[in-house]
Amino acid sequence: MQDKMAVAKDMEISQASIAPKPEVAPKEGPKPAFEPQDIPKMLEILDQRMNRLLASSLAACVHCGLCTEACHYYASTKNPEFAPAYKADLLRKVYKKRYDWLGRIFPRWVGGRDLDVELAEKMYDLIFGACTVCRRCSFNCPMGVDYASIMSTARYMMAAMNRLPEGLKATIDVHLQTGNNMGITEEELIETIQWIEEELQAELEDPTFRIPLNEKGAKYFLTMNPREPKYYPLTIQAEAKILHAAKESYTISTKFWDATNYCLFTGDVANARKIAQWQAEDVERLGCEYLLAAECGHGYRSIRWEAANWLGRQPKFKVIGFQELLAQYIQEGRIKLDPSKNPHRVTYHDPCNAAKSGGILEEPRIVLRAAVEDFVELRHNRQYSYCCGGGGGALTMTEFAKRRLEAAKVKAEEIAETGAKIVATSCHNCVDQLAEINRHYKLGVEVKLLCELVADALVME
Amino acid sequence: MMEDGGLRFLMEEVQYMALSFMGLVYLAKVIWFLKKPTVRDKAHLKGDPAKGAVVSLANIFMPWAMESTRTHWYFYLEFALFHLAVALTILSTFLIPFGVMEPGDPFSKVVVVAMAVGFVVGVRRLLRRITKPEIRLISSPDDYFSLALLDIFFLSGIWALGTGERTAMWVFFILTTFFLVYVPFSKISHYITYPFARWYYGVNFGGRGVIARPSRAFR
Repeated sequence: MQDKMAVAKDMEISQASIAPKPEVAPKEGPKPAFEPQDIPKMLEILDQRMNRLLASSLAACVHCGLCTEACHYYASTKNPEFAPAYKADLLRKVYKKRYDWLGRIFPRWVGGRDLDVELAEKMYDLIFGACTVCRRCSFNCPMGVDYASIMSTARYMMAAMNRLPEGLKATIDVHLQTGNNMGITEEELIETIQWIEEELQAELEDPTFRIPLNEKGAKYFLTMNPREPKYYPLTIQAEAKILHAAKESYTISTKFWDATNYCLFTGDVANARKIAQWQAEDVERLGCEYLLAAECGHGYRSIRWEAANWLGRQPKFKVIGFQELLAQYIQEGRIKLDPSKNPHRVTYHDPCNAAKSGGILEEPRIVLRAAVEDFVELRHNRQYSYCCGGGGGALTMTEFAKRRLEAAKVKAEEIAETGAKIVATSCHNCVDQLAEINRHYKLGVEVKLLCELVADALVME
Repeated sequence: MMEDGGLRFLMEEVQYMALSFMGLVYLAKVIWFLKKPTVRDKAHLKGDPAKGAVVSLANIFMPWAMESTRTHWYFYLEFALFHLAVALTILSTFLIPFGVMEPGDPFSKVVVVAMAVGFVVGVRRLLRRITKPEIRLISSPDDYFSLALLDIFFLSGIWALGTGERTAMWVFFILTTFFLVYVPFSKISHYITYPFARWYYGVNFGGRGVIARPSRAFR
């Protein structure tokens, strides 16, 4: 651990350049192709999932094509098969054949079609491999079609047949087996936290500094992305430093501290519920008032918005994102920042799950305006931000990696356009994808989380 | 024109029957839809779902509110003119039988101009659908037919209202009858389905504070 920290510090590199690799292989790999006997089960799932949101989204599309340019896959490659309406139509065809009255009699007339192995394979290729479920198309759809509900249903129809990308399955399996998606043991976590504690004791010249573990009654229950203890301990260090500066009451649980929930990407509600249940029970066990979500886009969305839907109840605690808490501290004057400590031009990439699906739109701007000297927006920002390409579990899907990088062209061009030296974001998947974009498109930027920039600008009193 | 008993029957009884059929199909569709479970966030909300729904439903009148219409303003303009023409044409099918509107009167001249514009937009949209690969790829026969049907409907309307000829009126009202019977099964019925999609979009993203954002950054 000390070596890893020392290397990262000595080289003064972004934490994003330490690329994580999937560590644990699944016990049973996903199957390579659909089989005819899968089809009835897939249709049964479609019937079960048919709610008003899905039905209206499938019925309302008029094929106007205004969503087309909204998709980063299309915008970067101009491949017509990457148009959101085309991808959604793969499931819509089945809907038309199965539910639409005219479609049942004359399916071809309304674009209806039976679900068969060929169509299912096409769905697998485009819905896992050419859609990050970012919802940018929905924000550009005049009809209000919620593409995410269509894609999520289609993904679960496939995932339930065990036809899903291997890396995504491995990540979920490890989470379900060990309680976090990288299989980090309690001992490893405690060792990492204690080391960070010692580092901060030295930096702050305060031997009494502590990172509280399993402390009952703390106000905030801080979650982490497993990448943080595993590869990016500087993130935890930055968070702890900020919480210390704000004299905050918080704790880290050594049980269910993982902020992620990759079942969001497969639409697997049963397992998503199981993971959310672990998180909720752990926060309730410690009696914390808030779950403080790590800077992890899908993790925030999962616990902030989806968990209550999966669990069928409001948890006994509130959920707040680290970005939201940072903005709160700044607005309330609880932390002092010196923006001259971050003199370079910074731009901000909105993580799709935190912004478009999560509502964190203005808080990062409040943070950056206070923490850096020169903040510039990307041309497309907030709910209109292009996905970096790392969303929807795409980083785990190595079979689609080439396409993922090609689709990031539009984001790379926008970053280059700003002249920024630092790309700030608020999501670990985005950090890793932006780091890859940086290397691939030779942007010469550094990728940082908000908490890292804030920690750098902190004025300790 | 009005002395033609057959035409009167077509303009009144047949239209009422077609309209009733259309209403029944829509009713059945809405009942089917409302039988499906609803979706609503159970989490502590950040924004206002009701405000979100209102903003979402009003989106159609706010071309500046959405990037796709903001950057393709001509597309929005075409949409507005086309749908205005459709609305006026349908309105005239109600006004003519009641004698409120006569071919050649000032209002009918306005409707004829609107239908002519609607026809041009319809043809352009049809060409766009045929020539643009990404639009052709998502187009079904119903997409082409619905546009072509409306273009023919506009043409017949221009003929009927422009000349007042009996044959033209027969063609116009036969097409109106077909239109009323076919529309509930075609993509043209989006005007019934899209408000539901927009409603849920508004409720969900309004509640999450993404659209119709709360003035405070956090709550």
